[in-house]
Amino acid sequence: MTAEEILEQLKRQFGDALADTEVKGAEVRLTTTPDHGREVCRRLRELGFEYFNCLSGADWTTHLEVVYDLSSLRHPNKAHVRVKVDRGNPLVPTVSDLWPAANWHERECYDLFGIRFDGHPDHRRILLPEDWVGYPLRKDYADERLVPYTDYGMEERVARTEAAKGAPKETKAPAAAPPKPPSPAR
Amino acid sequence: MDKREVPIPVGTTVMMERTGETMEEMYVNMGPQHPSTHGVLRLMLKLDGEVITDCIPYVGYLHRCHEKIAENRTYPQIVPYTDRLDYLASMSMNFGYVLTVERLMGQKIPERAEYMRVILAELQRIASHLLWLGTFGLDLGNFTIFIYCFREREMILDLFEAVSGQRLNYSFYRIGGMAFDFPDGWVADCRAFLEWFKPRIPEYDALVTGNILFQKRLQGIGVLDAKRSVEWGLSGPMLRGAGVQWDLRRNDPYSIYDRFDFAIPVFDTCDVWARFLVRRQEMLESVKIIEQALNQLPAGEIMAKMPKTLKPPPGQVYVRTESPRDELGFYLVSDGSPKPYRYKVRSPAFCNLSALPEMMKGYLVADAVAILGSVDIVLGEVDR
Repeated sequence: MTAEEILEQLKRQFGDALADTEVKGAEVRLTTTPDHGREVCRRLRELGFEYFNCLSGADWTTHLEVVYDLSSLRHPNKAHVRVKVDRGNPLVPTVSDLWPAANWHERECYDLFGIRFDGHPDHRRILLPEDWVGYPLRKDYADERLVPYTDYGMEERVARTEAAKGAPKETKAPAAAPPKPPSPAR
Repeated sequence: MDKREVPIPVGTTVMMERTGETMEEMYVNMGPQHPSTHGVLRLMLKLDGEVITDCIPYVGYLHRCHEKIAENRTYPQIVPYTDRLDYLASMSMNFGYVLTVERLMGQKIPERAEYMRVILAELQRIASHLLWLGTFGLDLGNFTIFIYCFREREMILDLFEAVSGQRLNYSFYRIGGMAFDFPDGWVADCRAFLEWFKPRIPEYDALVTGNILFQKRLQGIGVLDAKRSVEWGLSGPMLRGAGVQWDLRRNDPYSIYDRFDFAIPVFDTCDVWARFLVRRQEMLESVKIIEQALNQLPAGEIMAKMPKTLKPPPGQVYVRTESPRDELGFYLVSDGSPKPYRYKVRSPAFCNLSALPEMMKGYLVADAVAILGSVDIVLGEVDR
């Protein structure tokens, strides 16, 4: 079965629920909604995608996203399913009953992005302490202990090198120390 | 006060089955500071006498915001961070990362660099498996094999040091090629090491593989059959130990792995013993790959022409490579800026560790160390 045929089958079943469909090499790429995400995954599993590679979240500031990467041990095709999630109510049905492998991935996604997985058997934080406040990988995450990265940009560095060429070599003043982080609140 | 007629001896499952009663559960805490958890992993073992009825892993003690940091660094700046993922296989981590960025950019790299990458990654696989074998022996009370394995691993580290100047965190792969060429005489040294290494495997066999005590401790424990292994997303030696012929170097070839002739060791007893045999055999297969690569090693450039500022085109890509542990995946989202918009590591040990409770259930508490050892975890990449 080729990637085009797989996409064709999915389109027949889900129709308008799929968006941004694309076949890139052996990879089927598509975007869908939280209501259909689980069913699309289930259908893909029936089509031979029995291997769950990866689940990752992403924050697009307007919405959140859950990305499933699936593959098969029997055919060379891969699937890349993106599910758009509402920022106000980030709730997605779990797929950890289809693939137990998704269990920890979903916990991690909840931990770092705050996306909840409906029906997950063990819905806890995994990497951060259980009393942590906030979801660090969201783009608007703020923490007073976070120190902005004060690195000269690459272009700036190149410009400085160019400017230094030809100019008489001067003793370099020690760079100003980055602002010290305030002591932990907790 | 107690309605039981027959007092139940502590920890006797037979009696519990007979009476249908459950006794008070006993939890034993293993870790986070425990010599055989290979880092800071905490396991809560629920015990019925000596039988493990449940196991709850707690991870995250080494969490250091790897993915958040990466979002604030430029693409080349992330390479040294990937070293710290799996600090026992830094070359393979570098390899996976630079491959991902190159695929995002559609970048081709010079032939010589491709060969250098494969040679170093396979040496790293041997070094990683040697360290695994040594510490695994240590877990099981076989101290001798530890010393033997570290002797050979030290030679590989010397080779790495000659190439990169580092012994553990190499940061040697660059986006677009390699940092430096092999120094003079390195290829001859590498060949000499391979010649030294090949007869060492029978030596290990005499110490552990043929040792009946060692065999009896490993056979028939930690069983996870092929179907469940796939469902749990295991890969690499764990999956091949369950009888599934699956190796990304063969099934989804990346870099130049399709040019080499090597076997994929598969054992189908699904237990700790099978995983041990797979890793033992893999070291020999890696030797084969390195020998072929050294023979074919072309001369030429080691670095492609790269722009000063790397700005991959907007897009997203998931690239998987076969690291010594398992399937190492990098998911990168680029928005066209010099820093990744989203960077995610699918770390193999994280996925394998999630299946640990299922592997542990029903075995004796004395086997817990062996089962955990067979997963071959490195907490640096589990916690990221």
